[in-house]
Amino acid sequence: MANNIAAQRIQREFKEVIKSDEVAKCAIRVELVNDNYTELKGEIAGPPDTPYEGGNFVLEIKVPETYPFNPPKVRFITKIWHPNISSVTGAICLDILRDQWAAAMTLRTVLLSLQALMAAAEPDDPQDAVVAKQYKDDQEMFRLTAKHWTAKYAGGPGGNPDFEMKIRRLTDMGVEEDQARVALSSYNWDLERATEQLFS
Amino acid sequence: MASILEIIFELINNMLQFFRLGKKSISNSLNIYIKSNTGSTLSIELDPKWDIKNVKEVIAPKLGLPPNEVKIIFAGKELDDSITIEECDLGEQSILHAVQSRSQSKRSRPLSESVANLQLSNISENDDSSSTIEEQLESSEEKGIKNTHFYVYCSQPCKSVRVGKLRVRCANCHSGALTVDSDPSCWDDVLKSNRITAHCEETRCETGPVSFAEFFFKCAEHTSQGEKDEAVPLYLIRPNISHVPCLACTDISDPVLVFSCEERHVTCLDCFRQYCVTRLRERQFVSDDRLGYTLPCPAGCENSLIEECHHFRLLTSEQYQMYQRFGAEEYVLKAGGVLCPQPGCGAGIIIDTDCKRVQCVGGCGVRSH
Ligand SMILES: [Zn+2]
Ligand SMILES: [Zn+2]
Ligand SMILES: [Zn+2]
Ligand SMILES: [Zn+2]
Repeated sequence: MANNIAAQRIQREFKEVIKSDEVAKCAIRVELVNDNYTELKGEIAGPPDTPYEGGNFVLEIKVPETYPFNPPKVRFITKIWHPNISSVTGAICLDILRDQWAAAMTLRTVLLSLQALMAAAEPDDPQDAVVAKQYKDDQEMFRLTAKHWTAKYAGGPGGNPDFEMKIRRLTDMGVEEDQARVALSSYNWDLERATEQLFS
Repeated sequence: MASILEIIFELINNMLQFFRLGKKSISNSLNIYIKSNTGSTLSIELDPKWDIKNVKEVIAPKLGLPPNEVKIIFAGKELDDSITIEECDLGEQSILHAVQSRSQSKRSRPLSESVANLQLSNISENDDSSSTIEEQLESSEEKGIKNTHFYVYCSQPCKSVRVGKLRVRCANCHSGALTVDSDPSCWDDVLKSNRITAHCEETRCETGPVSFAEFFFKCAEHTSQGEKDEAVPLYLIRPNISHVPCLACTDISDPVLVFSCEERHVTCLDCFRQYCVTRLRERQFVSDDRLGYTLPCPAGCENSLIEECHHFRLLTSEQYQMYQRFGAEEYVLKAGGVLCPQPGCGAGIIIDTDCKRVQCVGGCGVRSH
């Protein structure tokens, strides 16, 4: 019984998303991961006029047995530089995925809310304190970093030769590429401070 | 070959007829009490096919009155001569009120009949004032709903959620010999006092210039056990006349639970149970000072707490026990008490400030200092 309500509901929501306008415009997508509707793969297109534009972000969506009375568990699989999303684990800080969840919300509401969150971060309620600090202190630095992450992990346009060069300097010293990128991003692409942190 | 079939058919037919007749002869009597406004009570056997005129002819001599001077009151209405007992939804051992008529008042169908098919709205103003109850009744019949009901929690003897019947009595003297001036049009009319005016026929009743109707509910699934036999109305359970899908599973079920939020969110009864169990296990029920241990609408709406906690009787008995236990624990903790430390007991202890020794009351009985 318990599983039936969740599975039945997800089945209908899945169809709702597939038929939605947003899918027609390639803004959101869902795919089934297994046959019993307990796990899905979501995809969000980076919103226009943001550093995420042109990127495609993959999400892991786990449906609890108590769905829809409890929210789905969602995290970013694609690495992203955003104040409300952990740059390490992809965990999301969004009220509707926590205490503001309501049983009338759907997968579509969740995906659209996440897209809205990408377009309008809330640095005062951060998931990633380092990103949030950069966002508040240096908007341009944040924008460039987020855009670089989008190009690197989400298939977004444009590279950043300066950033690439700094990462190569660290990988030449034996640092793993992702680790090098996190360190540099965290220190506003200051190679010296990033190196210091990595080797201390 | 054909003749053998014919014989078999005839045999079957005869047998069916026999059963039909057999059934009829058993079911065609109903034991009913007739209460007069002068205080006497008669017990009579009625044929459900009789109309009210027949009933008057039978009881008038026993009351020492001519039949045309008797009026019969049931469920808030003076019954019309042409209505049959069957149509009145009278259960075994129901009570009809007989009153000597001084004037000819407006006669109609009993309230239970006219209101039972109505989906009482939550809104106080009758926004559909142009249509009469009869019209609304007809439209609900057109939609294929013949006999929608009220739902009640019957504590004795059924101990379960049951179909219920709406009944009415005088707010002053509690007599059922009362005719209402108008039908209730919303749940507030039924649940709140002094909203529907009425006329009480009880000779001993002394009301002021206006008397009021007091509505109550009976369980429809056990034989009436007299005037004190009442059931708790589960007014959030409604027939799903407008085919609203369940908010959780999106199925269209009937009946459904309608939350008291402004949006009137709907869940099917299965999803309501699932919702309760989910919140119980997480200890996420709301402990409200006025209402007790309860839940809001699952869509998170404001002002949507379930006010009548008997709705949680929809849970299985095991789940309901968990509800009661958690509710009691929450109450004890809120009142500044502690839970009995004996493993598995869980009974609450409210420590007496004057006495150092505490005893677990109603639980395992362990004593400690
Ligand atoms: Zn009962
Ligand atoms: Zn009275
Ligand atoms: Zn449901
Ligand atoms: Zn609601």
